[in-house]
Amino acid sequence: MSPANQKSILTELKHKLIAINPLKLLEGSQKELNLNLSKFPKLLEKSFPDISKAYRDVDFDFHIVNQIIASHFYHQGLFDLGDCLINEAGEPEAAAQRSHFLELHQILEAMRIKNIEPALKWVSTNREKLVQNGSNLELKLHQLQFVEILKRGNRADALSYAKTHLVFFASSHLKEFQKLIVCIIWIGKLESCPHSELFTPIHWEKLTEELTRDFCNFICQSLQSPLSVAIVAGIEGLPTLLKLANVMAAKKQEWQALKQLPVPVELGKEFQFHSIFVCPVSRDQGSEENPPMLLPCLHVLCKQSIMKLSKGSSRAFKCPYCPAEASAVQCRQLYF
Amino acid sequence: MEMDSLPNGNSTTTSTTAPSTAPPSKLTQLTESLKLEHQFLRVPFEHYKKTIRANIRAVEKEVSSVISAVNDSVDSDISNDDAVQRLTSLVSRLQGLKRKMEEERRTENLQAERCCARIDHLESPDAENLTGWANMRLKRILVDYMLRMSYYDTGLKLAESSNMLDLVDIDMYLEAKKVIDALQNMEIAPALAWCAENKSRLKKLKSKFEFQLRLQEYVELVRAENHMGAIAYARKYLAPWAAMHTKEMQQVFATVAFKGIPECSVYKAFFEPKQWDYLVEQFKQEFCRLYGMNPEPLLNIFLQAGLSSLKTPYPLLVNLLTSLPLCLSLPLSHTQPVLFDTICVTVVKYFRTENERRCFLSLSRMISYILWWQITSKTESKEK
Repeated sequence: MSPANQKSILTELKHKLIAINPLKLLEGSQKELNLNLSKFPKLLEKSFPDISKAYRDVDFDFHIVNQIIASHFYHQGLFDLGDCLINEAGEPEAAAQRSHFLELHQILEAMRIKNIEPALKWVSTNREKLVQNGSNLELKLHQLQFVEILKRGNRADALSYAKTHLVFFASSHLKEFQKLIVCIIWIGKLESCPHSELFTPIHWEKLTEELTRDFCNFICQSLQSPLSVAIVAGIEGLPTLLKLANVMAAKKQEWQALKQLPVPVELGKEFQFHSIFVCPVSRDQGSEENPPMLLPCLHVLCKQSIMKLSKGSSRAFKCPYCPAEASAVQCRQLYF
Repeated sequence: MEMDSLPNGNSTTTSTTAPSTAPPSKLTQLTESLKLEHQFLRVPFEHYKKTIRANIRAVEKEVSSVISAVNDSVDSDISNDDAVQRLTSLVSRLQGLKRKMEEERRTENLQAERCCARIDHLESPDAENLTGWANMRLKRILVDYMLRMSYYDTGLKLAESSNMLDLVDIDMYLEAKKVIDALQNMEIAPALAWCAENKSRLKKLKSKFEFQLRLQEYVELVRAENHMGAIAYARKYLAPWAAMHTKEMQQVFATVAFKGIPECSVYKAFFEPKQWDYLVEQFKQEFCRLYGMNPEPLLNIFLQAGLSSLKTPYPLLVNLLTSLPLCLSLPLSHTQPVLFDTICVTVVKYFRTENERRCFLSLSRMISYILWWQITSKTESKEK
């Protein structure tokens, strides 16, 4: 091929490429894409506020947070995860509650397959305290087991179980005992038994719940892990806090420097654990040293406010709400 | 007195249809809380956007390079064989580009699917799976915390066990891990590579992270007593930042002279090993900014909000109680629990929520009992 030919072919190629203009084509196809790519974050920002605005820069001790999380995992029965976290984060002290929760979950797993042995073991170890607290867990456990035996239809088994285990409750829980014994007669035709409500499977669920509650009580833990309560409360309360932060920013007030929330955050009923008294005059929380006191006019102030109003002596003072007069001695402590 | 027969002074509508599995208020509450999920939707999107933009740039670069190669061949004097060779290589380059773009397209689609999966997840809670969904959310928050704290094993385990790999951004954190590990090993190269990769966006955010990295490299040269190297480095890499960071530049140049002197604490700080930790923190911050992640772990934000909210459950209620209207200031001898309750019923009409009503009533019952005891003990003492 002659050089002239080569040159003309290459020039033709060059012109063709200019005609196609691939770069311009690329640009064109991007226009709509770019539009959408920039629209989406704007939409997001409108409907999904920045939650870090409600965050105040307080020092978070992550060691404590790690311990709380590990304890949460153990509470939920996720022992592998808890161990993994403790390993990775290097927090050996967090394993304190592990053995208790392990016991609980072993009991619960057994209950799931209708095996009450581990539960019985725990109940009998702590029998005294349970009975003191008025719990009849032991009877209920035996009751459930007995019901299963009745369902299986073997009269001899039922009788022997009653003799070995139920007889202890004959004196303390006579009525329940009688009910159970009567059921033996109906073996084989349990549907017509007058106490058929004993045979519904829901009793297993209920007893498991009660057992969990009592067990947690025993090891001084709440039924729900503290972490989940706090997080769920946070999710519920965050919108209010965000609003508050926005309002304060508009008024040029310092959200970061806030020591106390100016308004309470309303949460659902499940977050009401015990009442807290806040004095309307001093806005202090009620405490052992500064309890709420009931005035004769039926208004309630904290002790320190009353002391301040009566100037420490037995002089009469005016209730800040109604014009009734009262003296410090007439005020009685209120117990919530 | 029946609690349920309380007149509801304000509402005119009767109660709505019975809830299916969970009370409707719980579902609406959860729907409200979906507003807090900015990071959840933003991060995969930013990742997707980054991939798209990078691919477009790659295509543009390659295509324009091919075009200019063609133009070169036209203008230059080359033999037949050379020309054929060049064109053949250009063709194979374009074919390679086509294959690569097909692959990238698949990646982009996966990323777009992930964005959609997240939106679907937010739309998925209904009356039946409320608790399950809420549990999932708690786990997501925990995984976010683990990954930020570099507890990768635990985070991965939790995500896998709950089958939620699509809902967490593990791959992003692993990308960051490379840089973080290197920085902790006093290696700057991966961090600089990351800066180069995200140059335009970091510039838009006015980030000075690259400058801080260059600064550290300079300090290391000074530490190694390679003064000529340090100066050459500064000329090449620090000078472009001089306008923005004059103060730091001046400080740093002084270190060459004052390195050995312990009293110069200002300059000493540059040589502390803590500087590397500082760089790690800066990287984490810039990383979060770039991808639309919250600067704090979600866990901290929600935990703080929760603890603040829990501390103030119902002082509002007690305030209301203590500011009861004047009708309560009856003479003491006439006060009996029944009358007190009746008064409470009328006051309760003004309470807004069912919760407040119930709490007020139980509280008022307690108070009425105390009062009754108070009164009877007083009358007893009077009789004595």
